[in-house]
Amino acid sequence: MHRVEHVMGFPVSLRVDDEGDFAAAADAVFGRLREADARFSPFRADSEVSRLDRGELSVSEVSPDLAEVLALCEEYRVATGGAFDVRLPGRGLDPCAVVKGWSVQRAADLLSAAGARRFVLNAGGDVVAVGGPWRVGVRHPDHADRLCTVLEITDGAVATSARYERGDHIVDGRTGRPATGLLSVTVVARTLTEADSVATAAFAMGAEGAAWAAARPGCEVFVVDAERAVVRTPGLPVAGEPSATA
Amino acid sequence: MKRAISVVALSIAGLVPVWRYEPSIGGTTTSASTSTTEPAPSSSATSSSGTVVKGTTIDTDKGPVQVQVTFDGDEIAAVKMLQQPNHPQTTAAVPVLIAETLKAQSADIDTVSGATITSDGYKESLQAAIDAKG
Repeated sequence: MHRVEHVMGFPVSLRVDDEGDFAAAADAVFGRLREADARFSPFRADSEVSRLDRGELSVSEVSPDLAEVLALCEEYRVATGGAFDVRLPGRGLDPCAVVKGWSVQRAADLLSAAGARRFVLNAGGDVVAVGGPWRVGVRHPDHADRLCTVLEITDGAVATSARYERGDHIVDGRTGRPATGLLSVTVVARTLTEADSVATAAFAMGAEGAAWAAARPGCEVFVVDAERAVVRTPGLPVAGEPSATA
Repeated sequence: MKRAISVVALSIAGLVPVWRYEPSIGGTTTSASTSTTEPAPSSSATSSSGTVVKGTTIDTDKGPVQVQVTFDGDEIAAVKMLQQPNHPQTTAAVPVLIAETLKAQSADIDTVSGATITSDGYKESLQAAIDAKG
């Protein structure tokens, strides 16, 4: 089964290789993503995030899900010395960077719960891969139709934060300016919640983000810096290399 | 001087992550200073070779870290670890980054990871080509 739908303004591709009917489970996956968008989008005036930001809700009144998201945001803010910050001065609360990975991972978990054993869910370039090996290409930062590495993922998640697609949209909370030290950060982790948050946070940190992400337990990293130099962790599961065991 | 101090504080904050990935050389750690807690920046001295500033001792999850920074004018001339944790896990858990050259390749893949693409940009993307194959 292979389906593509557009949620939160980006394409979501789901491929399930198991025998059997997973149409209902797929509906649930896309439904959960739409629900996350409705509840947590800062671009929707009636979302829980917008109501919290306007003071109509207090932090103690938010749902357990939003409390979990905000706790993750705070964890990464502290861990990056303030580079990753969802409350930038002069801007509204914007937890999108954490919400995306968190909600896509939870949607993928619905498929596993429904009995799917071999599937890959790609939400706008962030990937949850289950029951592989799956070959996950990483987009080349300069050439949209080329790859800069190919990963082999059995069970895990891959997220990339980069500057080529939407311009300088990630801000370093320490300076208030767009982060420009790195061109592309790809993180492989056990869950997309972690991979996406770590990739965004490392990107916000700039040059020091590569080493920071590499030191996160369970994270493998592939980074292209502004000079187009590449650094990566030795354990990165590059297809065709002995380390490809993730 | 106030500006220099804020620079020092930033530098030290930046160094805390740095030592964590630095491969331990010979398994030894330095403890040139026996002081454990000093208000920061604890002291500075100027000599012909520059201004020397000791940083705050920062408690990390692996133990206390303190650095000393030597300035040549506004630039950092040298950084020395006065304290770093002597913790076996710091050696075991040290990830090393490998440098590579940026390659451009095409390959048979199942899916593509990249910066978030918009629904508008999707049509032209590699992932759209993969999805079209079914």
